[in-house]
Amino acid sequence: MSSDVRFTDFKSDKQPTWCPGCGDFGTMNGMMKALAETGNDPDNTFVVAGIGCSGKIGTYMHSYALHGVHGRALPVGTGVKMARPDIEVMVAGGDGDGYSIGAGHFVHAVRRNVDMSYVVMDNRIYGLTKGQASPTSRSDFETATTPEGPKQPPVNPLALALASGATFIAQSFASDALRHQEIVQKAIEHDGFGFVNVFSPCVTFNDVDTYDYFRDSLVDLQEDEDHDANDYEAAKKVILDSEKEYQGVMYQNENSVPYHEQHGVTEDMSEIPDGAPEDAMDLVREFY
Amino acid sequence: MAEDLNWAIGGEAGDGIDSTGKIFAQALSRAGRHVFTSKDFASRIRGGYTAYKIRTSVDEVQSVVDRLDILVALTQRTIDENLDELHEGSAVIYDGERSWDADVPEDVTGVDVPLKSIAEDAGGSIMRNVVALGAACEITGFDVEYLDESLEKRFGGKGTQIVENNKEAARLGQEYVRENYDLDDLGYDLETTDNDYVLLNGDEAIGMGAIAAGCRFYAGYPITPATDVMTYLTGRIEEFGGHVVQAEDELAAINMALGAARGGARSMTATSGPGIDLMTETFGLVATSETPLVIVDVMRSGPSTGMPTKQEQGDLNMTLYGGHGEIPRFVVAPTTISECFWKTVEAFNFAEQYQTPVYVVADLALAVTEQTFPPEAFDMDEVEIDRGKLVDEEEVDEWLDAQGRFRAHAVTEDGVSPRAVPGTTDGAHMSTGLEHDELGRRTEEQNERVQQVDKRNRKVETAKNEEDWDYREFGNSDADNLVISWGSNEGALVEALDYLEDEGIDVRVISVPYIFPRPDLSEEIEAADDVIVAECNATGQFADLIEHDVLTRVKRINKYTGVRFKADELAEEITDKLSEEVPAQ
Repeated sequence: MSSDVRFTDFKSDKQPTWCPGCGDFGTMNGMMKALAETGNDPDNTFVVAGIGCSGKIGTYMHSYALHGVHGRALPVGTGVKMARPDIEVMVAGGDGDGYSIGAGHFVHAVRRNVDMSYVVMDNRIYGLTKGQASPTSRSDFETATTPEGPKQPPVNPLALALASGATFIAQSFASDALRHQEIVQKAIEHDGFGFVNVFSPCVTFNDVDTYDYFRDSLVDLQEDEDHDANDYEAAKKVILDSEKEYQGVMYQNENSVPYHEQHGVTEDMSEIPDGAPEDAMDLVREFY
Repeated sequence: MAEDLNWAIGGEAGDGIDSTGKIFAQALSRAGRHVFTSKDFASRIRGGYTAYKIRTSVDEVQSVVDRLDILVALTQRTIDENLDELHEGSAVIYDGERSWDADVPEDVTGVDVPLKSIAEDAGGSIMRNVVALGAACEITGFDVEYLDESLEKRFGGKGTQIVENNKEAARLGQEYVRENYDLDDLGYDLETTDNDYVLLNGDEAIGMGAIAAGCRFYAGYPITPATDVMTYLTGRIEEFGGHVVQAEDELAAINMALGAARGGARSMTATSGPGIDLMTETFGLVATSETPLVIVDVMRSGPSTGMPTKQEQGDLNMTLYGGHGEIPRFVVAPTTISECFWKTVEAFNFAEQYQTPVYVVADLALAVTEQTFPPEAFDMDEVEIDRGKLVDEEEVDEWLDAQGRFRAHAVTEDGVSPRAVPGTTDGAHMSTGLEHDELGRRTEEQNERVQQVDKRNRKVETAKNEEDWDYREFGNSDADNLVISWGSNEGALVEALDYLEDEGIDVRVISVPYIFPRPDLSEEIEAADDVIVAECNATGQFADLIEHDVLTRVKRINKYTGVRFKADELAEEITDKLSEEVPAQ
């Protein structure tokens, strides 16, 4: 079936309720195209999402999906992949979901290197609760709950991933459709945890990190022939660069061995016998 | 009443108390004797008083009593802690060469054995506990050879030399007592039988039940007293194609288990009260997304971090009512260690048949103490697996709407919808914790909301009618006095019947393994003059339920010291309660 899959097969018939112009439209389109392009179809794909504007994505896409609770999408994705190594798992979230309430899970999902892709729609603000500071908001970003700015430095999610032992770290921009799609595709194809932070502007509440801002300031690593994503030191340099922001694959460890291969988790766990396993009485005899 | 022997070893945590106790318990079990163990332990790794107690008999034993016959005391505090339980015929094995002077009560026989120096003769002072086991064998007339097998089991992995040294240590301990003491007057002579028994605790029984029931995925976070479930499954479930993840916290654990269940695996997590608090966030999602999941709560004393190593049955309300909004769920509560196995198997079937979260509520007293059973108590041929309305590629078609979309949350008469796992062609669908329509898509439309709420609640009604919400009964079913309990209290109550019979008090005991749904006990309660509910909590959470069910007041026995009920103690409490007035309506 996969050869005739079109990206529109991943679309549901629900119309998104995102604000007109929201970066999440572009982010989602790229995800659907990347899934189709990598040979997946809705019946072998599982999309997990958390809460917030980003969390609605499961409703607008068509696949097996779970829309869970705030910040916990990564553990759900981990569970799906453990049970079904044969299924393509994609987790979607926002900056609050991933780097605030779910920051602990992010660190541990990264270090487990579970073979799934994680797409974070980073708009540097809480949109659905109407414009409060998020963990990636600038320290002087004024909101109703932070009238003088959060007065603390933003989280650098790429550095957090690097420090946690990530094997694939990338950043894209929702409006640069082709590059975004390519990057998500690489994350899907990566053997391990494919992390993509997507600049996905909030046109309603964030007047600083706008389309124009990213268009004017983003440095495209693809155009930098010197950047070698397999070079950890080079990756560290761009990830920790506080002067510039980049799009592209910052880091990819080509020797990455995904969790399920490291731990021999290869069976489809959905299939079980009609009764206790054949040699189950041995379990009892162990207690002699 | 059973002719039983009560043995204990006590010392500081880190003294190897647990493994020494286990070695002796296994030896007794191999000798065809029934064994029931209990542990006194503190929440620390080293230091502090800790003890491992064994009650053993050729007849079945299923509770602890207030009596100690043989005590291996590695510290003075061990004697002090157990003074009340020592009696005229007791023997205390201690090491007079150690830095403390053993202050053995006058009417108790002190058996001074140089445990440390004998152990050194056998190859190392670390074996002093095994020397004490040899000494205990001599006092009780128990053949030291029964120890050999359990020493092999315990130390086999460390090489034959270590095993041989330990066997030698036991024999030297035995010889020392034989040569230096004449203890025939104590009159101990442990009988052995040809019966085969297995010895296990409740956590292990839960883990074994999970594997038998086809559980393939487990995620958990270590917590006393539930950790043994994870320890048991680790390294074993893999042999059956499964996997264990030690998650970063309880929130992750239940979400991973939820993910695996969405993938189609039979999936489980286990924790104790504080972990249930954290998991409650996702519990509602599990129920609303109609995901089959087994959640084990091994209760300890609460609230908050409470007393981690002490017994309580205080989480009943939490498992029954925990979570915001109204959440249909099942709560089963094993009453014995073998029931920990069977109720876990049943929980997996309920979870898939009704697509709900199922709590298996066990208590510390079940989880950490060991008991002997004939292997047939865990007859794997009896395990049945019912996966409910799991649809395959062909059956999916019956559940597609006019646009060809799978109705994963279809409104049905029995409240249970079809379930397609990833990979099933045309089964793709989403589920969410938001209120949703039949396709799983968010809705706030009033009719759809009511339909989905009713549908989910209907599962419980269906289950009430279709399943056998049975209870276990003991004593005289015609007795006017009725005692009701749940959880681990059953063993002590059953033995209390013997004490009560001696007093001429006739009692009917009902032990209830299902909290929700639960059996209707109104007829049984109406037939009785006196109704007492016994449980290990302060407020009588199960008694409240019973009163609610039958709209009549019951008498209550509540224990919340952190220690389980003892048979003789219960008998006394019941006797006292029977003479009390029934509380006012």
